[in-house]
Amino acid sequence: MSEFKKFDQKNWVKTNLNYKKDSGSWAWILHRITGIALIAYLFMHIFSLSPLSQGRAAFNEFMSHYTTPFFMALEWILFAFVLFHSLNGVRIVLVDWADGAKYHRALYRYSIVIGLVMFFAMGYVMFSHEIHNLFK
Amino acid sequence: MQVTFRILRFNPEVDKEPHFEEYRFEGHENMTVLDCLHKIKWEHDGSLAFRRSCAHGVCGSDGMRINGRNHLACSTLLKDINTKKPVVIEPLPALPIIKDLILDMTDFYEKYKAVKPYLINNSPVTEDSERLQSNEDAEKLFESAKCILCACCTTSCPSTWSNNNYIGPAALLKAYRFVFDTRDEAADERLDIIDTPDGIWRCHTIFNCIESCPKEINITWHISQLKKELSTREL
Repeated sequence: MSEFKKFDQKNWVKTNLNYKKDSGSWAWILHRITGIALIAYLFMHIFSLSPLSQGRAAFNEFMSHYTTPFFMALEWILFAFVLFHSLNGVRIVLVDWADGAKYHRALYRYSIVIGLVMFFAMGYVMFSHEIHNLFK
Repeated sequence: MQVTFRILRFNPEVDKEPHFEEYRFEGHENMTVLDCLHKIKWEHDGSLAFRRSCAHGVCGSDGMRINGRNHLACSTLLKDINTKKPVVIEPLPALPIIKDLILDMTDFYEKYKAVKPYLINNSPVTEDSERLQSNEDAEKLFESAKCILCACCTTSCPSTWSNNNYIGPAALLKAYRFVFDTRDEAADERLDIIDTPDGIWRCHTIFNCIESCPKEINITWHISQLKKELSTREL
């Protein structure tokens, strides 16, 4: 039999982008993105602790930057990433170790709802001073 | 009702890359996608190539990507998909295209064979010359035994798309079918085969396989049972 030409479809980026996604796919994609972002954050965390080697005053001076509203908003987003990654991590443990695969959609919905509640609760805690000033 | 099909065509003798072609015809909401493909092949363009045998969701030949998701063409009714926009028909992802919607399934079957998809039992049969099994033990296997090897699940998995060596959900499901069979004696052998980074541990519980399975098998649940078995046998 003569060898004929075949078309190799291997293009995982394209397939990932245009395949129809359900809750499981979104959970996986967001888990990857938040995971990579949290690794990047770890480097930044160690970098921002480095002024410790120059003494207390230098460290406090450096830390004062993080109390600006911009960095507080970033921290709130960081909290959202940690929340999603940890809640979805629990979901994955339940899928692999309990019968979570039978309830994976419900588990995804619950983790999103719990995550949103905790996200806004944390927002209130972080910005309570600003919110208080707003309605004074 | 007027229906438009956008079909990914590839002729290895002429084309360098696949391209879409559109067909417009009079359809009915109770027609399956396979009926529509037949209509196109018989009335519009005889050169359209696709696999099918039984046309009733048993043989598993006509797995394809319908509106972005893998499914059997014969088990998908027009009323269950969006026909307001053109219906996009593509071959299953990841496997090489031979022509139009026909794929080279060699890789899929090689991985299926790797888990030894047959009963292994070397002990002699008992005096009543049957290998008996209780109803409860048999029920554990019913869901996994429904698999028709259409390759919809394996080719819907992002792990398959990015990793040529990933064994795939269909083979893992078959591994479950025999690992948890009380009559089988090669469970450890099969568990050793799938206990590799490109074996069962490449399953990231993305659940695409469940969404695409035309037999509605909860494949990820079966894989999770294998994961539990693998983790606990080390203890």
